[in-house]
Amino acid sequence: MKSLYILNNPANLEQCLSAMAPDDALLLIEDAVLLCHQHTLHNSYILEEDLIARGFATKQSHWQAVDYPQFVQLTLQYDKTVTWL
Amino acid sequence: MKRLSVIFNKAPYGSQAGRELLDIALMAAAFDMDISAIFIGNGVYQLLDKQQPDILQLKNHSPTFKALELYGIETILLEQEALAHRNMTEPQLLDVAELTDNATIQRHIQQSDFVFML
Amino acid sequence: MATFSLLVTASPHSSQGQYSALEFTKALLQQGHTLKRIFFYGDGVLVASRLNCPPSDEINLTKSWAKLAIEHDFELTVCVTAALKRGITNAAEADRNALTGDNLDPAYEISGLGQLTEAMLESDRLITFG
Repeated sequence: MKSLYILNNPANLEQCLSAMAPDDALLLIEDAVLLCHQHTLHNSYILEEDLIARGFATKQSHWQAVDYPQFVQLTLQYDKTVTWL
Repeated sequence: MKRLSVIFNKAPYGSQAGRELLDIALMAAAFDMDISAIFIGNGVYQLLDKQQPDILQLKNHSPTFKALELYGIETILLEQEALAHRNMTEPQLLDVAELTDNATIQRHIQQSDFVFML
Repeated sequence: MATFSLLVTASPHSSQGQYSALEFTKALLQQGHTLKRIFFYGDGVLVASRLNCPPSDEINLTKSWAKLAIEHDFELTVCVTAALKRGITNAAEADRNALTGDNLDPAYEISGLGQLTEAMLESDRLITFG
């Protein structure tokens, strides 16, 4: 089963990645968008609104910017979501 | 049967997350589900024996971990890397969990239909 | 079309999670999906007080959820244990616990944790916002 991991706190990145399987994807929201300069080996998405709100450009290498409608679609493209708190 | 994993990754008493997550697990156990409790990172502190939160006038919820099996929650996994990283050993802990490596836990989460963390 | 439920544990006063959950909800409803229930747990229950009174130039999450739930006919359910602990109560629970008033917004209902498990089993997706 493929999972979409949702991360909202940058401090939890390392532990979140250690739980993820290769086919899983990661979506950064809220304060976790501060990680936009990091690289991961997973399919990586980042919530556009939260980037813009914090003064970042929406084009970030390695991270695909998504809006809320795309966030909803992502949750359906994967078999489940795991919000890593 | 749907598979649910509840993942404990926070130490007790500084926050109520562990206690509230335990309540979710116990409630879910009343439904017909295959439930696992997984302890990783600072969550391993939840299982320390000899907790005395009563001196903080807080309820000690750790004995409930010993009762998980009675509730039908038979899979209880403990991340051995987390234990080693914290210079902890199994005898310091409640004898409830099966010591397992990170890769096994990863696979377990992958095979779950639902995952709860708090 | 899919059925969603949400678990919201974020505090409405000190983190962004409630707002994220609200925007996610609007987006899924706009796409024609169904929302069964928002289950508020932990500090998330604080949103259910009708006495929440944010400054007038800030979003009122209590009312935003209520409006959406009435328009789209989904449940706003608050965990009873988490709510009472934090001073959120309806008239019946106030009476039972000998409290002097109640503050639950009428769009919300107080119920048990079983409603979370039920929502999980009866929805295609359960998304947590913490």
